[in-house]
Amino acid sequence: MKPVIVTKGITKTYQPDTIPVHALRGVDLTIKEGEFVAIVGPSGSGKTTLLNIIGGLDRPSEGYIEVGGKDISALSDNALIDFRRDNIGFVFQAYNLIPVLTALENVEFVMLLQKLPKDQRHKRALELLHAVGLDDKISKRPIELSGGQQQRVAVARALASKPAFVLADEPTANLDSVSTGQLLDIMANLNREEQMTFVFSTHDQRVIDRAHRIITLEDGKIISDQLGHG
Amino acid sequence: MIFKVAWRNIWRSRTRSLVVISAVVLGIWAIIVITGFSIGMVRTYIHTAILNEWSHIQIHRSDYFVDKALEDTLPNGFAIYQNLKNEFPEELLSPRLLVQGMVSSPKAARGVTIKAIQPGPENATTELQDHLSQGQYLDVDSRNPMLIGEDLADKIQVSLNNRVVLTFQSYSGEITAASFRIVGLYKTKDSRYDSQHIFVRQEDIKKLLGGDGLHEIAIRVPDGTDFQPIMDRIVKEYPGLDVQSYKTLSPDLELYESTIGLTSTIMTIIVMLALIFGIINTMMMAVLERIKELGMLMAIGMNKQRVFFMILIETLLLGCIGAPIGMLVGYVTILLTSNTGLDLSAYSAGMREFGLSDIIYPWVPPTIYWQLAIAVVITALIGSLFPALRAIRLRPVEAIRTL
Repeated sequence: MKPVIVTKGITKTYQPDTIPVHALRGVDLTIKEGEFVAIVGPSGSGKTTLLNIIGGLDRPSEGYIEVGGKDISALSDNALIDFRRDNIGFVFQAYNLIPVLTALENVEFVMLLQKLPKDQRHKRALELLHAVGLDDKISKRPIELSGGQQQRVAVARALASKPAFVLADEPTANLDSVSTGQLLDIMANLNREEQMTFVFSTHDQRVIDRAHRIITLEDGKIISDQLGHG
Repeated sequence: MIFKVAWRNIWRSRTRSLVVISAVVLGIWAIIVITGFSIGMVRTYIHTAILNEWSHIQIHRSDYFVDKALEDTLPNGFAIYQNLKNEFPEELLSPRLLVQGMVSSPKAARGVTIKAIQPGPENATTELQDHLSQGQYLDVDSRNPMLIGEDLADKIQVSLNNRVVLTFQSYSGEITAASFRIVGLYKTKDSRYDSQHIFVRQEDIKKLLGGDGLHEIAIRVPDGTDFQPIMDRIVKEYPGLDVQSYKTLSPDLELYESTIGLTSTIMTIIVMLALIFGIINTMMMAVLERIKELGMLMAIGMNKQRVFFMILIETLLLGCIGAPIGMLVGYVTILLTSNTGLDLSAYSAGMREFGLSDIIYPWVPPTIYWQLAIAVVITALIGSLFPALRAIRLRPVEAIRTL
């Protein structure tokens, strides 16, 4: 399997002028296509910072990062936005759907940004919502959906642009166990059947239990990288 | 879909958007109504001044205005008058003999301009008879009849059927006085005019002057006709005469006419400036309460141009919903009042001092609607800039973390 994400010697230091906070202290990581990876660690260990850097939302202070074979540390802000749109699917902790759009429109939106024709957008959005089991909710707005359903729409949206991988920042933090189970089933299926790469940051034991690989961070460093039980 | 998102976004905070839309409606309506009112006032003033006092064109001897002397009559004035009458059968002409003199009652005396007229043509040109408030017009079978303005009659304390003495210089240079009977009192929309002019018949005064002649031929063109081509022809045909329009005879009319366009522009600028702040405030709130969402949009790949565009569209929509409603309400207001007029007779005593009519017929030039449409778009664009720039300065990684 070819590598999707490669980082070398990534550090991230906040407020370097006053008292520097070292969020990451040299992270070397390679994630390959089709992996189902959980990044775990206590609060303040640097999970979210690492995820933001891998996701092109933040830039490392030092080090090299390559996504899908492309060095993204040199991209301009706008080029980075386009890169995220085409290569990375995001699932946020707080769902973060567009509240004024229906489930179907939310999924279509990313493809609209990619300037895909309307019929293609529509077809793929319907397929994705079917894949996450929301055929009957396509015309509901986020406020009319449960947390679990919103997060499933978010997963469908993340996949809409056919990204290189999906980044999920604590995706189950606000979900009950039934919804968490459904969501994990969906993601595991997509991983198995479509070789979609998933990278989570999580505290949630239920997620950790399903991961194929568990990377543990502490004080901005990887302290263990082992196979999971999933 | 960006339009759809923008459209739905403005209805997320229904009350707030409705407040801004209402402000736009009210602002546009106010511009139209105030402009219509002030233009209507100016137009009524100009119309009244042309009708009662100046006509469109006046012809004098070339040096008449140097000292307005009695002997400065038009050379062959009556022949010119006849020629013009034949040449312009549609136009309304009045030949006048103008004498500077004094009107005296037993109690007071005033300097006046005595307008010696031919009752028929004068009435056709200035509708003088319609302005009689008491008594009769000059076409009565009476010796030395005279019309006097109500204001002047008050000042010299005379009333209908009283006799007054007119004193003036004759052609021979003698001071002449004669008794005239007040057969009618007139009242125009301009009290200044009324207190300075009295009307007598030419046939009565020429005997007293010891000669005949004309100082002035006034020409009023029918409503809806442009006077300029007629004036150009007269200038060409009578190069030795002083031919002027009301615009040069009474420069204040020209000035008022030129303010017509200015009024709406100034009103528009003032109202739009006020609206800009309302729009900025609303859109700024809309952006600040959506920081997390905007951050998410940028995270999933909506670039800065699109975010900027979305905020811009939202602002334009606010303006574009309000503007047509405001225009429609303004249009209807003008339509309803332009036929009946606004009766300001409660204040008309004061307005007459300035020559203003007591009934105003509001009117706006049709171009005002285009001006306003453009002004609203420009206002919305300017109002959106600040919030839109604020939105694209967000860094997604920080915005998403905001609770």
